[in-house]
Amino acid sequence: MRTKKLISILVLVLILSFAYFSYKTALSNFTLSDKNSSYLGGIKFHRAAAGLEEGFQFAQQDNKPVMMYFWAIWCQYCARFQTDTLGNTQVKKILEEDYVLVAMDLDIDREVAQQYGVSYPPYLVFMDPNGKILERVPGAVEADYLLPIVTKIRDDVRRK
Amino acid sequence: MIPLGDTLLYASMAVSVIALVGLLVREFKDIELLNKLITPAIMLGAGLLTLSYLILTYYFVYSNFAYDYVWQYSSADLPLIYKISGTWAGQQGTYLLWVLVVYLSAAWLAWTTGHRTALSRRTQVITLLTGILLIIITLVQSPFKLIIQRPEVVDMIAKGTLPLDFVPLEGNGLNALLVNFWMTVHPPLMFIGYATMTIPFAAAIVYLLTKEDGWEELGRQWARFTWLFLGMGIAVGGVWAYLVLGWGGFWAWDPVETASFIPWLTLTGFLHAAALHRKNKATFAIAAPILAAVSFILVLYAAIVVRSGLFNSVHAFGDSSTGTLLLVFIGITTIATIALGLRRYFEETGIVEEDRGFWNKTNVFYVTLLLFVVLAFISFWGISFPAFIQLSQGLKVGVASDTKNFFNIWSYPFTIILLLALGFCLNYNEKQKEEQKKILFIVIGLSIITMFLRTENFYVLDHSSPFWVREPPLYKLIGNISVISIFPPMIYAAWSTIQRLTDYLRIKSIKPKIKGIGIAIVHFGVIFILLGAIISANFTQSMETVNIPLASKGELEPIGNGYGIKIIDFSTRSLSETANIPEGVVKISEIFNNPENYVSTDVKIGGKVTNVSIVQSAPGTYSTYIRIDDGTESLWAAAQANEPLNYPEGTELTIGGFLMTNFKSNSTGTTYPLILFSTPEQIIQGAASAGKYQVQSVRLEVYQDNNKIGSGVAEYLNSESGSGTFPLVDSSITGTDIYVIFQGLGGGTVPLSLKIIPAVNFAWIGIVLFAIGIILIMAVRSKPKNE
Repeated sequence: MRTKKLISILVLVLILSFAYFSYKTALSNFTLSDKNSSYLGGIKFHRAAAGLEEGFQFAQQDNKPVMMYFWAIWCQYCARFQTDTLGNTQVKKILEEDYVLVAMDLDIDREVAQQYGVSYPPYLVFMDPNGKILERVPGAVEADYLLPIVTKIRDDVRRK
Repeated sequence: MIPLGDTLLYASMAVSVIALVGLLVREFKDIELLNKLITPAIMLGAGLLTLSYLILTYYFVYSNFAYDYVWQYSSADLPLIYKISGTWAGQQGTYLLWVLVVYLSAAWLAWTTGHRTALSRRTQVITLLTGILLIIITLVQSPFKLIIQRPEVVDMIAKGTLPLDFVPLEGNGLNALLVNFWMTVHPPLMFIGYATMTIPFAAAIVYLLTKEDGWEELGRQWARFTWLFLGMGIAVGGVWAYLVLGWGGFWAWDPVETASFIPWLTLTGFLHAAALHRKNKATFAIAAPILAAVSFILVLYAAIVVRSGLFNSVHAFGDSSTGTLLLVFIGITTIATIALGLRRYFEETGIVEEDRGFWNKTNVFYVTLLLFVVLAFISFWGISFPAFIQLSQGLKVGVASDTKNFFNIWSYPFTIILLLALGFCLNYNEKQKEEQKKILFIVIGLSIITMFLRTENFYVLDHSSPFWVREPPLYKLIGNISVISIFPPMIYAAWSTIQRLTDYLRIKSIKPKIKGIGIAIVHFGVIFILLGAIISANFTQSMETVNIPLASKGELEPIGNGYGIKIIDFSTRSLSETANIPEGVVKISEIFNNPENYVSTDVKIGGKVTNVSIVQSAPGTYSTYIRIDDGTESLWAAAQANEPLNYPEGTELTIGGFLMTNFKSNSTGTTYPLILFSTPEQIIQGAASAGKYQVQSVRLEVYQDNNKIGSGVAEYLNSESGSGTFPLVDSSITGTDIYVIFQGLGGGTVPLSLKIIPAVNFAWIGIVLFAIGIILIMAVRSKPKNE
C-alpha cells in the first residue's frame, strides 16, 4: 500500500509540474495574439471581419484585388503554408504591394467563413474590388502553384 | 404545434420518469404493480426513440426540407446512402443517436437482468438519469426544428418576402468532405462508443456508493464493447483523414481526434484495472471505478470539444451551443466521482495490505494504469489549456511552435515506459521474477543508450522542419532523442507477447485459451500501430506540388528525385442521382429536331469538347470554334477573345450563347448551318452546374526511374458547401503507399503532390488486430452470470 501511495504522489507531482511548465512555456514562447497578425508569415494583414469592409474600400481606391486568408491557430498546415508559400519572397512581394490582404480566423470569423463556403484552413479566396470571387485556393499549396495565380489575378484586375 | 419527432422525445422522457420512479420506490417498498411497469416503460422509451430516429431518417430520405436540420445537411440530389448518413452529420442528429443508443443499452440491461439485483436496478437508475438529461439536450437543439423557426426565415416571413408555410425546394447540401464512405460510418461508431460508456459509468458509481458486488462483470463487458466502438471510430476517423483530407498521415493531434482519444486511453486503463480487480476485490478497489467514471466524464468533455467554438478544428461542420448543459453535467459527475472516491479511500485506510515491495504484479499494473492516465492527461492538457488561456486572458497561444511537437515530445517517453511495462507485465511470473527483472533492466539500458544514437533524421522531432529552431530548450532536449530507442522496448514487448501467446496455446481448456489469444492479439495490435505511426511519420518523402498541363496527357512528366507522373485520363462527373442534364441546358438533339424554337434566342448547351479550331481574326483578336458533344448530338460554338481559348479535347464545358443559322465564316471559309455565338464569360469549365457535387477525377501513373510504381485515380470534389480532396492511395505489399493529392483543375493544369509513405499498412493491421482481439475476449463470456 505504501509503495502505491508513493508512486501515486510521484506521478501527481510529475503531472502537476508538467502542466505548470507547459502552461508557462506556452505563455512566454507561443503567445499568438498580437495586433498586427504579424505571425501570419510576417505579412501584414488587415484583421478579421471588421477589416473586410475597410479592405474593400482600400481595394476600390487603389483598384487592387482582395485576398482573404482563412487560417486557424491549431492548423499545422497553415504554419508551414505561411512561412513557405505566403512567405515566399516572390509571392510575398506581390501580395504586399499589389493586394489588399485580409486574414480571417476560422475560430472567430465563423460567419464570414460560412458566407464564403470555407470549411477548413488554410484557404484563400481572391476577389475583385467589388467583392466578386475570382478564384478559390483551398489547402496548403506550394509557392510555385500560387505565384502564377496571384500574378494573373493582379494583372486581370489591373486591366479592367 | 410540437413536431411529431419532438412529441416522441417528450413521450420517451415521460415513460422513463415512470421507470425511474418505479426503480426508486423499489429501494424502499415493493409495490407489485409499479415493479411490473419498470421494464415495459424502459422498452417503450427505447421504442419511441427508435421511432423518432426512423422518422428523422424518413425525412432525410424523402428530402423533407420543412425541417431545418434536413435542409442544413442534405439535398435532393444526394445518393441515398448520403441522405441516410446526413442524419448524423450534425450535432442535433448525433445527440439523438447518442440518446437512442443509451436507451437501447438500458433496454438491454432491463432485458438481461430483469432488475432482479440491487446492482442492476441502481445501475439502471443512473443510466436513465443520463438518458433523460440527454433527451433534454436533444430537445434544446432538436433535429425536428422547422425551417420557418430559423431566425432569418422568421424575419423574411415577417417582412412578407416568404410565405408562412415556406419550404425550400432544395437543401443546403452535405459538406463535400463528408460525402465519403468512411464518413458514413465514423460518426455512428463514435457515438455508439460514447453512449455505451454509460453503463460502465453507472455501475462504477453504484459500486462506489454501495459496494455492490458484481459491478465489474457488468461494467467490463460493456467497457470492452465501448473500447471496440470508440477505438474503431477513432481509427476510421484516421483513415478518413488519410484518404480524404489529404493529411498524408492518419493522426495530426487535431483537438477533436485527440479529445476522443483521451477517454479511450482511460478506458484502456480501466480494462487493465478491472482484470486484476476481478480476481481480488481489494485490488484497485478505488482505481477501477474511478477510471470507469473518469472515462465517461471525458466522453462528455469530448462531446463539448467536438462542437464548441473553443476547440475549432476540421470538425467544424456546424456550430451551436448545448455546451453549458453538458458542462453542468460534467461538473456534477466530476464532483460526485471525486467525493465518492475520497469517501471510499478513507473507508479503506483501515485495511492494511501486506507490503511486498515494489516488484509485484499489482504494483507493476498500477504503474501501467498511471501511464494511461499520464498519457491521457498530456492530451487533455494540450487541448485544454490554450482554450483556458483564451477564455481567461483573451490570448491565443499555441502549445509549441508546431502543435504536434507538444504531443509527440511529451507522449514519447511515456510510450517507451508503457512498452516496457507491457513487456514486463504480459510475461510476469512470480517464480522467475529475478530473471525477468534482469531482462527488463537490460532493455531499459538499451533504450537509454539508443536514445543518444545520431542518425540523419530519425528523432522525436523533425530537425529539418522550420519549427524545430523555435522550440524551447527542454522541448529540443526531448526532441533530440533518437527514435531508434523505441525499438528495444518494442522488440521486448513483441517477444513477451509471443511468449505469452505460446503459453496460452498450451492451455487445454478452450475458454481461457481463446481469451488468452485475444489478449495477445490486442497487444500485437499496439506494437503494429506504433510501428506504423513512427515509421510513416519519420520516413515520408514529400515532393513539391507540380502543375502538369492537361494537354500533356499521356506523357511522362518528371517531377524530381527520379519520380515522374503520367496523366492517363481526366474526367468530370456529377455525384447525384438525378439526370446529368444541368438546369437550363438544352439537349443538342432537341435543337436540331426543333431549330425553329431555338434560333435567334439564348441557348445553353453542355458537353465534352470534341474539336477546337482557333483563328486570328484581327491583331489581338482570336475566334475560337469549339465543337461540343453532349452524347445526343454535337454543335459548334464560337467565341471571340483577345487570347485563344484553348480547351483540350474531352474537357467538360457548359456554354451559353445566341443561336444562329447559316453562318458563313470568312476566316475558316465554312458555313455553319447552326452555331452558338458565345463569349468567354459564358463558357464555364466543368459540368459545374450539372449538380451540386461535381467530381473531377484524374487517372494517373506514378513512375520512379521510369519504372511504374503506382497507379490509380485522384479526385477532387467541388460543391457549393466546400470542397474535398480524395488522394490516390496505392498500397504495395511492402507497406509503402504511393499517395497523390489532386487539388482541382486550375487554368488547364493539374496540380499534383506526390508523397511516398512507408509502413502505413502496419497501422491498419494493428487496428484490425485490436478489433479481432477484443472480439475474441468478449466472445468468451457470452452471457452475464445469473446474479
